[in-house]
Amino acid sequence: MPIDAAFDIISFTSFIVLVVLGLGVIASMMGIFNLGHGDFVLLGAYTVFVFDELGLPIWLGMTVAPFAVALVGLVLERTVIRRFYAAPIIAMLGTYAIGVVIRETVRGLIGGLYHAIPEPLPGMIDIGDISISKWRLTVILITVLVVLVSYLLLRRTTLGLKIRASLENPALARSAAISTGQIYALTFAFGCGLAGLAGALMVPAFSLSADLGVRFLIQAFLAIMLGGVGTFEGPIGGAALIGATTAAFPWVMNPILADIMVFVLAIVAIRLRPTGLFTKRRL
Amino acid sequence: MSERESANGGWGALPRRRFLASTAWTAGAVATGLGSWVVPAKWASAADPIKVGIATDLTGAIGIAGNACANTARMMVEDINAAGGVIGRPLELYIEDTASNESVAVNNVRKLVQRHRVDVVLGGITSSMRNAIKDVIVNRGRTLYIYPQLYEGRECTPYLFCTGPTPAQQCDALIPWLMADGAKRFAFPSANYIWPHRLNEYARKVVEANGGEVVFEEYYPLDQIEYSATVSKIMNENIDIVFFTVIPPGLAPFVKQVYEAGYQQRGGRLSCVYYDENLLNFHPPHEMEGLVSCLDYFRAISDGGEHRFSADLHARYDAKFPDGPGFAAGSAATGIYRGLKMWEAAVNEAGNLERDDVAAAIDHAKIENGPGGGSEMVPGTYHCRMNMYIAVCKSGRYEIAEQSDGMVEPGECL
Repeated sequence: MPIDAAFDIISFTSFIVLVVLGLGVIASMMGIFNLGHGDFVLLGAYTVFVFDELGLPIWLGMTVAPFAVALVGLVLERTVIRRFYAAPIIAMLGTYAIGVVIRETVRGLIGGLYHAIPEPLPGMIDIGDISISKWRLTVILITVLVVLVSYLLLRRTTLGLKIRASLENPALARSAAISTGQIYALTFAFGCGLAGLAGALMVPAFSLSADLGVRFLIQAFLAIMLGGVGTFEGPIGGAALIGATTAAFPWVMNPILADIMVFVLAIVAIRLRPTGLFTKRRL
Repeated sequence: MSERESANGGWGALPRRRFLASTAWTAGAVATGLGSWVVPAKWASAADPIKVGIATDLTGAIGIAGNACANTARMMVEDINAAGGVIGRPLELYIEDTASNESVAVNNVRKLVQRHRVDVVLGGITSSMRNAIKDVIVNRGRTLYIYPQLYEGRECTPYLFCTGPTPAQQCDALIPWLMADGAKRFAFPSANYIWPHRLNEYARKVVEANGGEVVFEEYYPLDQIEYSATVSKIMNENIDIVFFTVIPPGLAPFVKQVYEAGYQQRGGRLSCVYYDENLLNFHPPHEMEGLVSCLDYFRAISDGGEHRFSADLHARYDAKFPDGPGFAAGSAATGIYRGLKMWEAAVNEAGNLERDDVAAAIDHAKIENGPGGGSEMVPGTYHCRMNMYIAVCKSGRYEIAEQSDGMVEPGECL
């Protein structure tokens, strides 16, 4: 029991981390809470569905999904989102509205039905008495890889430096010949691309329905509040905590109580450390 | 069909594979989706049309069932009008979206009852929806209400008639059938709302009366999507039958995790009484293999060729709404059929639209034919007798395993 429990908990945590990563990047780097994030996740899942319907390989759909969703994000940023930077509250409403439009459009396109998407890597690996889903294992590995790459991109490259500069002091960044407008557009597109990847990877495990992404949104926000906005590690750490407690609590208590306990503990933690658990130094 | 109707023909009117072509349509539907749809009677008549209200979840999480209901009503009203209407008057259909959201629903239903002054309302899918809108319709609205979905029973409100299956109809034959090969240990993993609680209460009695045991009965938040703790319990407790009432969005991960743990491989069986054809796409076929459901109609009955009436009805529905949600019992489409037909028979018998007269006539209404066979209201109980079928999922289709010997008693409001 301990090994399969640990695997299931880590695997669920990976999905939450993937969703939070994109949301966290946008919130931390741009100061915008993207309430449409769940629907960008849905868009990634929908891309995979389109590939499946057209008879193309699933893995191709999963490769294309982050880029397709990033492109949608880029267009939306250039046309709509950039008008909201001065008013973060309005930005929340605006992104929420965009999310609703995406969700209901997808609902129409899939006929309001549910669709199972097969895993590119079906089957289980049997280790002694326990069987481990190959796909869930793959998602764990990809999550680790993506977190690592995103971290290096933001921390170790010139582009990452420009992004951080634009966040810290936009006026100074502009005077240093950094086009903050372009940087914001890129960052937003990057965050959306991560959402698309999350959706593409999770759809075989959860099936496609229009409400796929919304389910994760509240947990993702909780994770960001818990971890703290403004850093790279904050949201990821928060996501790991929320994911692990959500998956682990039902092992030891009544599931309904477990659901409430996750929120209670998160609220207590936020009360004790209002700026987040992982906010020692800024990125 | 009017122009307004065809412009907003429901999600069902959408060819699934024509993604790009349908984008414009969708934008239109999204823009106008919250309004009400009116399908006026085609033929001019000296008499005023009779107004039939449909209040169902066209959008939101329950949209599949809602659109199946609305499509069924569209088809039937067209048929009834083509055959001369009811008491010589044409029917006019008013469709209102309850949007899988009770607070939106109450306002929209009020519109049906107070502004359009419909003569009858059919609809509501979930029990919480029925409870939210019944007062608006029956008490304050003084209108007849027909509720079409399978549900937990105990709804004994005058002027409210239930045309879907009850726990007795779904469990009395199914549970002994599941236990026939010696299976005794049940698990009841369930979503935490009224239907699973009450259905489980009933199912537990049937399990215990047949010498079985409910090893655990557990409730989850409606949106839980991680079930490893439950699945581990199912495997460690050597459960024979998982009789579940988990609902989307948790449904897909639940079934997948059960399958991946090797439950079916070691001979375990899944059973869930709302599974119909509209849920076949929900899981890959191998995850659903052997799943058992019990409903008043399955497509396999029509495909069998014995039920000509069901087969014709289903074929016409498919021709009219080739994509989107199908004509299926778990989506309340068969309940809508029975409800509308019984109401039609009652109005013809009463000869007028007075609520008391029509209610008195529905109380003993019978229909000779319907999906899955005829049905009749049990007088004084607001519920129907109907044929029931136990079906097993095989390679992504249902096969009928057993059918009731005649109509089954609803066992409610006695």
